[in-house]
Amino acid sequence: MTNRKTVFLVYSFTLSIIIIWIALIFLAPYLKSRSSSLNLLIYAACSSVCHQIPSRSLHVFGYPLAVCARCLGIYLGFLGGTGAFPLVRSFSNLSLPKTKSFILLSLPMIIDAAGNIFQLWRSPHWLRLITGLLWGLILPFYFIVGLTDFFLRLRKHKNLRL
Amino acid sequence: MNNQKSLMLTPALIGGVIAGALSGIPILNCLCCLWIIGGAILAAYLMVKDSPTVFTSGDGAIVGVFTGIVAVLVRTVLEIILRPFYQEFAQRMLERAAEWAEEMPPGFEELLEGGAFESTVPRFLFGLLVYAIIFSGLGALGGILGISLFAKKIPSATEGGNDVSTENTSDRQS
Repeated sequence: MTNRKTVFLVYSFTLSIIIIWIALIFLAPYLKSRSSSLNLLIYAACSSVCHQIPSRSLHVFGYPLAVCARCLGIYLGFLGGTGAFPLVRSFSNLSLPKTKSFILLSLPMIIDAAGNIFQLWRSPHWLRLITGLLWGLILPFYFIVGLTDFFLRLRKHKNLRL
Repeated sequence: MNNQKSLMLTPALIGGVIAGALSGIPILNCLCCLWIIGGAILAAYLMVKDSPTVFTSGDGAIVGVFTGIVAVLVRTVLEIILRPFYQEFAQRMLERAAEWAEEMPPGFEELLEGGAFESTVPRFLFGLLVYAIIFSGLGALGGILGISLFAKKIPSATEGGNDVSTENTSDRQS
C-alpha cells in the first residue's frame, strides 16, 4: 500500500466519522419529536462529551440538539476543515500546522468561554457556534496527519520485524 | 516502539486521571470534550518533557488513546460514586430553572432528571464501550496537538521529509 493511499484511507475514515457524528447530533431531536426511544441512546452517547444544557443548545424539531452550540460549532468546523484538507494540504504533504495558526484560531473560543465562565458576559448561540467553528477548522489538520503517521510507523515497524 | 510505549504509560495515567476526574465532576464538566483533549495534551507534554527521544505525531496519537481510555475508567468510577449527588444536583437545577424561566423548553425535565437511563449491565457495558471510542478519538487528537506544541522538532533539512513519499511524515510545521 502506498503512503498516499494510507493518507487517503485515513482521510476517508475521518470524513465518514465526522459526517455520521454530525448526523447523529441532528437525528436525536428528530427521533425525539417522533417519540422514538432511540433518541435516548444518542443523547446519552453525546452526554459523554457535552453538558447538553438546553439553554445553551440550538433547538431543532422542537428539541435541543444532542450537543451545545459551541460543541456543534467545533464539529461543523472539523467537517469544514476535513473538507478543505485536500485543497489546503493535498495527500502528499503531511506537515502539521504552525503553532501560531493554532493559537490564533483557538483564542476567540478561549476568550469567549472564559468570559462566560467568569460571568463577564453571556454569549449568544451564534457567537458560541462561530468561535467553536473557528477552532474546529484546524483540528483535522492535526488529526489526519497524526493518525496517518501512526499507521505508517506501524507498517514500518511490522516490515522491520519481518 | 515497545520502549516508547513504556514511556507513555505514566503520562497517560496522569493525564487520564485528571481528565476523567474533571470531566466527571458536575459543574466542572461544562467544558465538555476540552478536558479530555486537555488531559491528552498534558500527557504528551509529560512524555516529551524529560525524554531525549524524538516523538512524532503518531506517538502523540497513541498516548492520547491511552489517556482517553484511562479517563473513561476514572469518569465511570466517579459517576458511580457521585450518582446520588448528580440526581440531587439535577433536581436543584430543574427547580432553579423553573423559578426563572417563563416557559420550560420541551424535554427539559426529562433530560435533567435522566431517569430514562436506568442502568442494566449490558447498557452499562455498551455505554462504556461507546464512551471509550469517543474518548479515545478525542484523546488521540489531544495527544497529536500536545506533540505539535511541545515535542522537539526534527530539524527541517532539505531532504524533503515532509512529503509522505519519503516515509518520514510528521512534526514539521509548515
